Amino acid sequence: MASPGRAHGPALGDERLALVDLLDRVLAGGVVIAGDVTLSVADVDLVTVSLRALVTSVSALLEAGEPLLDALDAQEQSR
Amino acid sequence: MTHGHDSAVDPGRRFRIEADPESVEKGLVTLVLTLVELLRQLMERQALRRVEQGSLTDEQTEKIGSTLMALDARMTELREHFGLRPEDLNLDLGPLGPLLPYE
Amino acid sequence: MYAVTADSEDPLTGRLTGVGGGQLRAARAAGLTAIVGDVSEAEFGEFTLRSNLEDLDWVERTARAHHAVIKAVAEQCPVVPMRLATVYASDRGVVQTLRQRAGDLRVALARITARSEWGVKAYAAEPTDLGPAPGRPAGDQASPAIGPGAAYLQRRRAQLTADKDARRSAMASAQAVYAELCRLAVSARLYPPQSPDLAGRRAPMVLNAAYLVPDERAGEFAAAVTDLGASARSVRLILTGPWPAYSFVGGNDAAIRDEGA
Repeated sequence: MASPGRAHGPALGDERLALVDLLDRVLAGGVVIAGDVTLSVADVDLVTVSLRALVTSVSALLEAGEPLLDALDAQEQSR
Repeated sequence: MTHGHDSAVDPGRRFRIEADPESVEKGLVTLVLTLVELLRQLMERQALRRVEQGSLTDEQTEKIGSTLMALDARMTELREHFGLRPEDLNLDLGPLGPLLPYE
Repeated sequence: MYAVTADSEDPLTGRLTGVGGGQLRAARAAGLTAIVGDVSEAEFGEFTLRSNLEDLDWVERTARAHHAVIKAVAEQCPVVPMRLATVYASDRGVVQTLRQRAGDLRVALARITARSEWGVKAYAAEPTDLGPAPGRPAGDQASPAIGPGAAYLQRRRAQLTADKDARRSAMASAQAVYAELCRLAVSARLYPPQSPDLAGRRAPMVLNAAYLVPDERAGEFAAAVTDLGASARSVRLILTGPWPAYSFVGGNDAAIRDEGA
């Protein structure tokens, strides 16, 4: 068997680990399991259920990182 | 136990409820000015579209331009009066991204 | 529950503690080992957990402790991380999950063995002299005598066009970088751009990607990021890692290559 995961070479020190990068991974990554605490609580989306529908429809308009104003502007211009 | 942050921005700002009345007021001012700035930018883009379409006379163009220029100057005054930087006048809409472009 | 490893592994050295300083232990079933630790019901009961998850300081402490456990285990053997706050009333639930999900977990374990996750973020480069600032007259174009108002509008149009072009250029670069790095990876996953409040930077983020890279290609991958960063004019690249493969165990990634057995 190949040697275990020791190929983690010169890793960044944990104290410099950027919180945002960590949050991306521990909140939206990992295996999702319904524990005894119900998933809707442990699953941290900073979006309420009612807003989610709006988000999925609008985000079809937006390219990554584009300000909302630009997206609305582009729509206006194409009229 | 405290964490040192080397980022220039305090990430806790986004989540803490500010109970201090002075900062509540400043938060309101920021929100109001952000919305005014949104309107200003919308009007400016609308005006530019009209100019490009050629549907305005020279006189109308000059008048709209002067008005917008004065509005821009006034916004800068207001912003500076409250000690706000241009990048403070923006709203993070979460999954929708930012409201206004970064200058 | 922090993570799952193969049953043959025994990664707990006894010195490691988890969230809240509690001792860690293993729960075994179905040929798998779950790394678990006790947490207080006061913090992790259903109602308090919800409000704790809205407190960034609490989330930060907990996320770092969670990650510390996973990372320590990852240094010893392949590990499948769980999402933050995977909580059970007792070990019985953990064992049940191991049995019910054994198939999925084994597939995930095989997938991440001898591979690590690397993060690549791209920011739009700071604008240089892309166009006239609103305060200065526009270029050398010979314009007929126009009033200050009309001149203002010309400047604004030039500025907006320059900004839009810079943004387009940055996004195109980001897509090219993303595609190029996919060639060196087994899989990739895109995250939404990070909020500038949290990320602490002004320039817009145009790429936030994670890649699953075989460990023997890690050096090649890092070199590719450096090269791409040097040659791209409209974006700045930042490499993070190696990470335990958080982004590649939940089934949300774009598997690029067929997995060999």
